[in-house]
Amino acid sequence: MEFFTACVWAAGLAIGIAALGCGLGQGMGLSGAVQGIARNPESSGKVTVTLLIGLAMIESLCIYALVVALILIYAHPQAAEFAKMAIGH
Amino acid sequence: MNIQQRMIRFITKSNWYIFCVITLLAFINTPKPFALGILCGGLIVTLNFHALEHTLKRTFKNSSQIVAAGDSILRSVIFKYYIRFILSGVMLFLLISRNIVDPLGLIAGLSVVVASFFAATTLELTRLIIKEAV
Repeated sequence: MEFFTACVWAAGLAIGIAALGCGLGQGMGLSGAVQGIARNPESSGKVTVTLLIGLAMIESLCIYALVVALILIYAHPQAAEFAKMAIGH
Repeated sequence: MNIQQRMIRFITKSNWYIFCVITLLAFINTPKPFALGILCGGLIVTLNFHALEHTLKRTFKNSSQIVAAGDSILRSVIFKYYIRFILSGVMLFLLISRNIVDPLGLIAGLSVVVASFFAATTLELTRLIIKEAV
């Protein structure tokens, strides 16, 4: 039972920390881009493209963390073995 | 055409090419849940990327408005990001919790956009090195 509790804790922490980091990173990147375009509106095209690549990279990290968290809860490779052990005891 | 525009054109095209090639190879060579994982993961992340591109291009099209409404632009982009993220989250949740796909295939599928970034960067670096060598 402790194993499953630990899995849920790990999944919650994983997605929580990842979302916090990605949110901060995206917010900082976007804020920098908006400031840059406000100071130099002609650079809008270049900044937008660079920002797009940066944001997509950050977003994919958060999606990876979400997948790992979901795997920990719903598709853990050793869940069946631990469940058998728990029933045996 | 400058380096940024060239890269984004390459990435936009190569996303679909890599996605199609990997999915085809997976359906030929690997078990069905793994191939389905690649198909679903690749589709989710590629559509996400195109939605992000659409949002940013629409937001930054009129650069004169940014000076007047900097804060609200930030909020609208972050809000749209959260909507996209929640939608992808729900889809991933359904796919994994109902055991429709193999999680490893899903992770491979979700790496399609990262792979095309990697390919674009490698190509530009190679171009730069060859240019300097000549």
